[in-house]
Amino acid sequence: MTTHTCDCGICDWTWRHVPAADHKPGSTRKIYRISQYKTWPPSEGLKWDLVKNDFSGLEIPQVPRTYAYHHGMFGYMNEKQVAIGEATVGCQRRMVNPTPSAKLDITTLTMLAMERAATAREAIQVMGSLAETYGYGFHDDGEMLAVADPREVWIFEIMPVGPLWTPESGKPGAVWCAQRVPDDHVSVCPNESRIGEIDLDDKDFFMASPNAISLAVEMGFYDPKSGKPFSWKRAYSPQEGSAASTDGRIQRLWRFFDIVAPSQRFKPETPNMDFPFSVKPDKKLTVQDVMNMTRDRSYGTPFDPVKGIRGGPFKNPNYYRQTRVINDGRAEYTTVTQSRAGLPDMIGGIVWISWGSQDTACYMPIYAGATALPKSFTVGDHWIFTRDSARWAFDYTDFHVQVAYSEAIKDVQAAQADHEAGAIARIPEIDARALELYKKKPAEAARFLTGFSINNADTVVDAWWKLGDDLLVKYNRLYLYNTEKRTYDRRNPAPPEWWRKAVRAFDILMEPDRR
Amino acid sequence: MRPRARTLFFLAALTLPLALAGQQVPKAGLPALTTSAGQSADVTTLNIVFDEAGIGYDYCDVPTVEMLADGVGLGGRESGPGFHIEVLSDLDRFPEGTPFKAVVFAIGASLKGMGASGLTLEAEEARLRKLIDYCRQNRIFVMAVHIGGESKRGAPGSDNERMIDAVAPLADYIVVTKDSNKDGRFTKIAQDKKIPLTEIEYALGLVDIAKKVFQ
Repeated sequence: MTTHTCDCGICDWTWRHVPAADHKPGSTRKIYRISQYKTWPPSEGLKWDLVKNDFSGLEIPQVPRTYAYHHGMFGYMNEKQVAIGEATVGCQRRMVNPTPSAKLDITTLTMLAMERAATAREAIQVMGSLAETYGYGFHDDGEMLAVADPREVWIFEIMPVGPLWTPESGKPGAVWCAQRVPDDHVSVCPNESRIGEIDLDDKDFFMASPNAISLAVEMGFYDPKSGKPFSWKRAYSPQEGSAASTDGRIQRLWRFFDIVAPSQRFKPETPNMDFPFSVKPDKKLTVQDVMNMTRDRSYGTPFDPVKGIRGGPFKNPNYYRQTRVINDGRAEYTTVTQSRAGLPDMIGGIVWISWGSQDTACYMPIYAGATALPKSFTVGDHWIFTRDSARWAFDYTDFHVQVAYSEAIKDVQAAQADHEAGAIARIPEIDARALELYKKKPAEAARFLTGFSINNADTVVDAWWKLGDDLLVKYNRLYLYNTEKRTYDRRNPAPPEWWRKAVRAFDILMEPDRR
Repeated sequence: MRPRARTLFFLAALTLPLALAGQQVPKAGLPALTTSAGQSADVTTLNIVFDEAGIGYDYCDVPTVEMLADGVGLGGRESGPGFHIEVLSDLDRFPEGTPFKAVVFAIGASLKGMGASGLTLEAEEARLRKLIDYCRQNRIFVMAVHIGGESKRGAPGSDNERMIDAVAPLADYIVVTKDSNKDGRFTKIAQDKKIPLTEIEYALGLVDIAKKVFQ
């Protein structure tokens, strides 16, 4: 499994399915400049059409067959169950290459991996070798990808090599490294480089570009005479501090380890660079566990965003933003991918998608074999409200939760139990039916999986529009309306007594003369 | 041997700047200040070019006229949130307070960068106008550089084009990568305003130019 929060707040959120294709010998694949941040008004068209107006000038030799895949801001799942999650990790300032000599950005690399790779290892080689040849950077700098297939998960990190690189230099136009996550382990990348010491002789666990260490020496980021072993993250993307020392600003790393392996008592005071690459979780994680983890708000920890009066009378975790928690209200969408061995790829691969803030959203499965996406997943933007866009359905509910968060979130959680846990429970049945069809005719299985994925998503999106309506009515004007009895309760939702005290304390603080 | 010799010649040709016919690379004095017009990451490239060329410089992403007037050392100011300063001028040759003789602008608009510096597009334009007016009044050489390429140009009236308008027509020298000038916009500015212009293939080409300008 991989998970990825596409957290931006102003970015494009639209998804697209790219069908498989056969290509004639000698044909080429055009490379476009794709900025994660650039958006266009819907009246001008959709991002994935408009990016084709920004041709980089590079066409690379096309492969005979490209695989089908689903993508949003990045490629997420292809027909071979190769799955990707992304995190920006940054790099040393002198490594950034925003010049046009760098032809490939991270979005394009993930799409090329989707088109060309049948395994995680192949995906890494595809991305790494193309970036070396044609240069990496331009819109992007240090990036990490979790690359999975049914058998392995790898952490792949890639960085530019500075703005003075040219293809004629004969040197690699990128530096990259990949480390495999041990089979019974989990790893996390909260926008921080995670690969430390590397053993390039251990081919089963490490892959890297030929300049992985030499570039660090050349640029003065590592001194082999220091007596210290080379550390990828310390050389190329050092991060100072800990969860505690930054008052929670970089607490997600500690929090992840604390959630999955509480028995190991990881400490928030431990510098982030000293955390292990991966850890064996105390218990095996389910897909629901991973979804729940994406909703984590660090409640009950030293970084609790509703501690004291921070969340207001209704414990709203969105008021206090000093702490960066795992759940992200700025999420465009979040993915959880599953690559499952023992099933044909079109059935084994699932990308679960939730729109907007994870706590008020619902994960919906899209099978790898689906040949189309729900229409509502492919449209919409941040600045124009439309009921045609799935994303706005979830924002609509999210908006109506904010007023009385501690109460309204319970309504959302009930809906999640119906639609999200319900979908998870149905997966074995869907798998079995798809497998039956697959054995007769794979194309029928694909039609079935497409139908299920779209119908389920349409049902959930409709349910969230209705949920938003219901919340508006139920908590209207901060009273509690009972639609069945056609009554309302003027005393509820009631601000708690501690809040009344806090109000009085604030008055005293601000108006000392009246004390 | 012969094929290798041809290859070497080819590589050398690619890195040579493509100056407009009849125009020489102008000379400017040190000390120099590097800065951004639009707060894109291209100013980092500019600084790396100066490092590579072995030219000392002071850098500030959002200098004011007062800072420019304070000369080398930028009045002893230090970096803070959304505000970066580096003093890398040769202090033996140019002690703190030495007036700048050149300002080099890396043109490129970035809403992300301007946001981080607490600037709006209008505020950035106004800041640039004041800086260039000061340079004009005090005979400070203004060099405008656009190395972001076609993709970072934008349509007429776009953020990046406004940054170009704010700096390039008032510069003493313009250097652009070829694909930043595919539409000939910089060539037209240079011809209209009689400003020397040099086209380069890659940012790497700016290293030699910087050496020539500031040698």
